[in-house]
Amino acid sequence: MVLRNYFYRLKCIVRDRHSMFWTLMFPLLLATMFHMAFLNLSNGLNFSQIKIAIVDIDEYRNNTGFVSAIEAVSNTDENQKSDALFNLKYTTLEEARKLLDDDKIEGYIICDSEIKLTVKETGINETIIKSFLDYYLQTSSTIGTIAGVNPEAVNKGLIETLSDKADYLKEIAYGKSEPDSTVVFFYSLIAMTCFYGSFWGLKEVTALQADLSYEGARLSVAPVHKMKMFISSFLAAFTVELIEVFLLISYLKFILNVSFGGELLYILLACITGTFTGVTYGTFIASVVKGGEGIKIGILIGTSMTMSFLAGLMYEKMTYS
Amino acid sequence: MVIKVKNLVKRYGDLIALDHLSLEVKEGEIFGLLGPNGSGKTTAINCILSLLKYDKGTIEVYGRQMSPDAYDIKRRIGIIMQNVAVFDELTVYENIDYFCGLYVRDKKRRKQLVDEAIEFVGIKDFVKFYPKKLSGGLLRRLNIACGIAHKPDLIILDEPTVAVDPQSRNNILEGIKRLNSEGATILYTSHYMEEVEEICTRIAIMDKGKIIASGTKEELKGMINSGERLTVELFKTDSSIIDGVLNLPNIVSAEFDGNLLIVRSIKGKNNLLKLLDYLKSRDIDVGKVYSEPPTLNDVFLEITGKELRD
Repeated sequence: MVLRNYFYRLKCIVRDRHSMFWTLMFPLLLATMFHMAFLNLSNGLNFSQIKIAIVDIDEYRNNTGFVSAIEAVSNTDENQKSDALFNLKYTTLEEARKLLDDDKIEGYIICDSEIKLTVKETGINETIIKSFLDYYLQTSSTIGTIAGVNPEAVNKGLIETLSDKADYLKEIAYGKSEPDSTVVFFYSLIAMTCFYGSFWGLKEVTALQADLSYEGARLSVAPVHKMKMFISSFLAAFTVELIEVFLLISYLKFILNVSFGGELLYILLACITGTFTGVTYGTFIASVVKGGEGIKIGILIGTSMTMSFLAGLMYEKMTYS
Repeated sequence: MVIKVKNLVKRYGDLIALDHLSLEVKEGEIFGLLGPNGSGKTTAINCILSLLKYDKGTIEVYGRQMSPDAYDIKRRIGIIMQNVAVFDELTVYENIDYFCGLYVRDKKRRKQLVDEAIEFVGIKDFVKFYPKKLSGGLLRRLNIACGIAHKPDLIILDEPTVAVDPQSRNNILEGIKRLNSEGATILYTSHYMEEVEEICTRIAIMDKGKIIASGTKEELKGMINSGERLTVELFKTDSSIIDGVLNLPNIVSAEFDGNLLIVRSIKGKNNLLKLLDYLKSRDIDVGKVYSEPPTLNDVFLEITGKELRD
């Protein structure tokens, strides 16, 4: 009896297109929209190489220290992707001026008796170029001063010591993946979907209770134990909702490539608990709240949206302090 | 005795929905519970089925106290409600199979019963349809099939013909008679006196939560003073005719409805002949003449002072 009711209730739930849309298609659509929104957001934050030009003159070539320093952080092929800071082009002075005028480069460097930077405007990229040159000049000046006073220091690893920058701050990721603030939106979305299980809980109790539906009245006069009917109906609702949540996670992970780190097992366990809570909440509201189905659905949507908001669905920096 | 209800009282706050209601339904009969909307018929049925708690009284079904967990009794009952109680997400066949499965576990037997129920209500061509695709009449037939598929000994029908077209209504009434002839006891509630008169062997008339009269239809009609209702088509209408008719013996009311003279009489001999003699004596030409025996509506009217459909 329990198994039979379970399968028939599964049929009833799966064929309820209206609720299936809200519990499955709506979260998938939201996930897609979040993904599209965050894709552009992260693109805006991506670092792109700073295009600079160096006037190719003999003085520059003779300054081997500067040549090796700048080539170490530059990439001379425009199409090549690398972690280099600059995209470097060797030009004549006229070419460099023209490139700057045409906004093809952020600035150009002339290295004759001294190192000179020419930029068109001020901005982050121009500041980065200047900071690099300042750092180079500061370090080379330091080495020159020490080498003048104590030439032996150069042989004793002076250059390595000055080049070695110790960082006393260490960033530790809470999970096993790179920290990504946008993931909180997807976590909230999963939580919302779990909570949408409450719609199935409401549907199942409504179908069972004689005072809530005519079908419930018919079931109530049948010679079956109500608790058995409730358990099998609840399990049917739980099964469908859990599958929907797993489908959402699969969609996020494998189609949208959202990184959940190595915590997937814990996420799935949390989803099982969340789905159980969601379905139970629906059965609770269906049983306790007096009034029509519309009022109960309104309460479910209102509470699930409020809780999703508090979980960070609309604002990722939501805190509980 | 299949159903024995004694002094049943059900209150909703200050409103008394059932006021010391007592009734008995015997095995093999079609028992009609007739009353206007709001008279307490559905409340009485819900109490009998333990869907509602009641304040006072006793309800016995098949000799045992009825309760929500009286599964042995419930197994013998089929219910057809006023409102269609089927799942929109299941097909016609699945709905009948689902509800039948609550009573019959054996798959083979169940399939046979479901097929018989489908055949019985005549919805064989619609088994794969979803309820939303069915017309009102077919939906009612599906509702009935869901209630009778497990072949219950007692079938309770609560206003099954409300908002049903005449063809489906006749089909339903014929079905009820057939179920009864196959051995089922029927408890039938309605506010349509014609239906109750047509199919019920015994009738209880309800008003304001009370049984105001019960018996066979002949017994009920015998309880009142009203005689036949006479209708005479006249070719001349004159208010002096009404005055003259009212002076005749046994006549209680007379009125014109167009060119029809409608006369109500109390029990007595030759009422129609005396009326026709009077009209002849006044040289009034007469067309069609009807004489109708008193109806259950007359019974209700005489006892309560109001029409059954008020």
